[in-house]
Amino acid sequence: MNDTPIKIGLVGCGGRGTGAAENCLQSAKNIEIVALADMFPDRLNGCRKYLADTKHAGVKIEDKNCFTGFDAYQRILDTGVELVLFATPPGFRPMHVEAAVDAGKHVFMEKPVAVDPVGCRKILEIGKKAEQKKLTVVAGTQYRHQEGFMQCMKRVHDGAIGDVRAGRIYYNGGGAWHYDRKPAESDMEFQIRNWYYYDWLSGDFIVEQHIHTIDVMVWAMKGPPMRATATGGRTQRVGPKYGNIYDHFAVDYEYPGGVHILSMNRHWDGAPGHVGAYFHGSKGMAMPYGVKKEWASEITGPNAWTYAGPATLGSAYVTEHADLIASIRSGAAVNESKQVADSTLTAIMGRQAAYTGKTVTWDEMTKSLIDYSPDEYVFGPLPERPVPMPGKV
Amino acid sequence: MKRLSRRQLLAAAGSAAATAALAPYVHAWGHDKLKVGLIGCGGRGTGAAEDCLRSSPDVELVAIADLFPDRLAGCRKNLTDPNRDGGPLAVKLDDDHCFTGFDAYQKLLALDEIGLVLLATPPGFRPIHFAAAIEAGKHVFFEKPVAVDAWGAKKVIQFGEIAAKRGLGVVAGTQRRHQNSYLETMKRIHDGAIGEIVSARCGWNQGALWVHERKKNESDMEWQVRNWLYFCWLSGDHIVEQHVHNLDVCNWALKGHPVKAVGVGGRQVRTEPKYGHIFDHFTIDYEYAGGVHMTSMCRQQNGTDGWVGEQIIGTTGASDPGGSISGSSSWRFKGENPNPYVVEHRDLIVSIRDGKPLNEAGQVAESTLTAIMGREAAYTGRIVSWDSLLKADASLAPKSYEFGPLEVPAVPVPGRKAR
Repeated sequence: MNDTPIKIGLVGCGGRGTGAAENCLQSAKNIEIVALADMFPDRLNGCRKYLADTKHAGVKIEDKNCFTGFDAYQRILDTGVELVLFATPPGFRPMHVEAAVDAGKHVFMEKPVAVDPVGCRKILEIGKKAEQKKLTVVAGTQYRHQEGFMQCMKRVHDGAIGDVRAGRIYYNGGGAWHYDRKPAESDMEFQIRNWYYYDWLSGDFIVEQHIHTIDVMVWAMKGPPMRATATGGRTQRVGPKYGNIYDHFAVDYEYPGGVHILSMNRHWDGAPGHVGAYFHGSKGMAMPYGVKKEWASEITGPNAWTYAGPATLGSAYVTEHADLIASIRSGAAVNESKQVADSTLTAIMGRQAAYTGKTVTWDEMTKSLIDYSPDEYVFGPLPERPVPMPGKV
Repeated sequence: MKRLSRRQLLAAAGSAAATAALAPYVHAWGHDKLKVGLIGCGGRGTGAAEDCLRSSPDVELVAIADLFPDRLAGCRKNLTDPNRDGGPLAVKLDDDHCFTGFDAYQKLLALDEIGLVLLATPPGFRPIHFAAAIEAGKHVFFEKPVAVDAWGAKKVIQFGEIAAKRGLGVVAGTQRRHQNSYLETMKRIHDGAIGEIVSARCGWNQGALWVHERKKNESDMEWQVRNWLYFCWLSGDHIVEQHVHNLDVCNWALKGHPVKAVGVGGRQVRTEPKYGHIFDHFTIDYEYAGGVHMTSMCRQQNGTDGWVGEQIIGTTGASDPGGSISGSSSWRFKGENPNPYVVEHRDLIVSIRDGKPLNEAGQVAESTLTAIMGREAAYTGRIVSWDSLLKADASLAPKSYEFGPLEVPAVPVPGRKAR
């Protein structure tokens, strides 16, 4: 079965896209990356050169299979690829993935998979379509493919810490890159190049980054929370080049039975960082991120346990692709659409609670008409929404 | 206006510490009328005076003090109004017993006849006023919070210990400690009704508070003291000024103070200069000994959803410590719940008359420090430990107390530099 090469296209040639392509090539034999798509020629060329420099035999990208512009994601679907990797800014994800599934392609999609509730519902719809077509859809929430996390979560679900009574999840860091605007750059081009800082492209950093940890919460709790109450704002990272996103969020996620989970994430340069998840049970605690060593997931209490297998932190980025390729080859389709859409919407719920200062329910979110996508995708003027003001949104 | 330097005030407080070990302060309150002085004639001070007078027999308000003549006059008129709701109060306020200015509290404390003082100025003045009151041998009721910085909280702890040695009563305005529904629920929590405590949450989420528009010719100092909520040296920021109530309940449930805090916060909506330099929202993750965490959330943002309360989560149940327990020992408070703002005064006065004075100084200072620790965590972005906080000696107070220029500090930017 491994003799048949799987031809792959990449949509979104930035750092994560290039990394995902490389991870995919490393994950299995007979993988060929044959086509690239990106909004910008310079980003595409950079990715193409990087992949060529790996000297990997599976890198077979011809000029005719390189596409740029807003419609590049459509044109790549006609190149004979079987699997498409999506790693553009998340705002494009629902639209792009829909086209791929409609064209019968298997999908790997980076997290998050949407920036608004409308986009999340689109992903659910696409997921169902993929299921009917027996297509595999894997998401870049790689902890779901990381051995230590998987074993830890299984133990939590099997009752190792009793009932989960409370929890805490953190993604506290110093911030991200930003892109300085060039003269004569249109609003649209500048925003896409500086995509991290625009709600319609990244979903704000609680969605873009903290989704990893929020996904671990949703995993541990076997589903999304009932509601969220939050504070947030822009305290340190202010100024026009940082678009309209916040630099800190603190969300109180509530589950049935009065179980609350504190979610905190911040981009404050010069403040100490912390990425982790802690679940306090009626008998012991679960720490999937590990404390003594980052990959050494741990459970305390009467059923104490520490993951003793090999360090899997970095390799999970490859494992997720190995699982994806194995699923395609075996014909047993894997479909992570709902799981990652739920986690994305959970992050969005926290964001909306902070933006509005209102308690936001899951029910409201599943029906919400909030749609951040621009009216049209053209290089030209694109006024940004103001930074959200709680109580006034 | 007499100018008082902070150095002079500290020197006065220090001399009291040196003489504190002298003979216990003795007063036969059991048979005398208890004469009361009020320092801080704003809304809360006026309310505290009424609550005190209504709480117990043979109590009389005989002196009042405030920085501003207009606030003092308003309070005096209010409290002496014979037609006020609930009937006239036991008040005798002669002109020579009404004091204004920065040194008004000293003049009031110099009156020998006064046995109990109520301290209800902006919290930034509290440690100095408290130290002076204890030094003057007065029993004290003081409003929360009792400080705005670690320096002040430590001063309160120190003079609380002196008060204990001198047999002086000290009760704080954290009135939930005197509220039956809380007392009954907390007893059950401590008796194991929710199992072992796993986690806690508390919040004070509400809209914006009052603001005084600045008047022409008002000095920086006068403007700031009249708008004290919005200046950290006066209020400690709203996490300290208001949310201390809920933090105090969590400390009560957990029988101690947190060991460290990490937080987020900012000034997102309430950004105009008239709101000084404080934040409008905080969320703090507090960690207690044994690894129990407590989430604290507070905001003052109009149009946002409100919540004022606490939740204590245990291994076998959960509790709203204000009156209910869910889980295997489900229970709801149904008893009498008299006004805790009155009960706190009655409890103090009864304890004084019984010769077993209550002393809440340490307890409320710890809760105040808890709030300060959270504020500093959000202001700096750092992990702030209790121990490091206790080592801090800087005071937020101005170098001198006089009506004149007083710069508004910059809004804190976390991660940028140490405070």
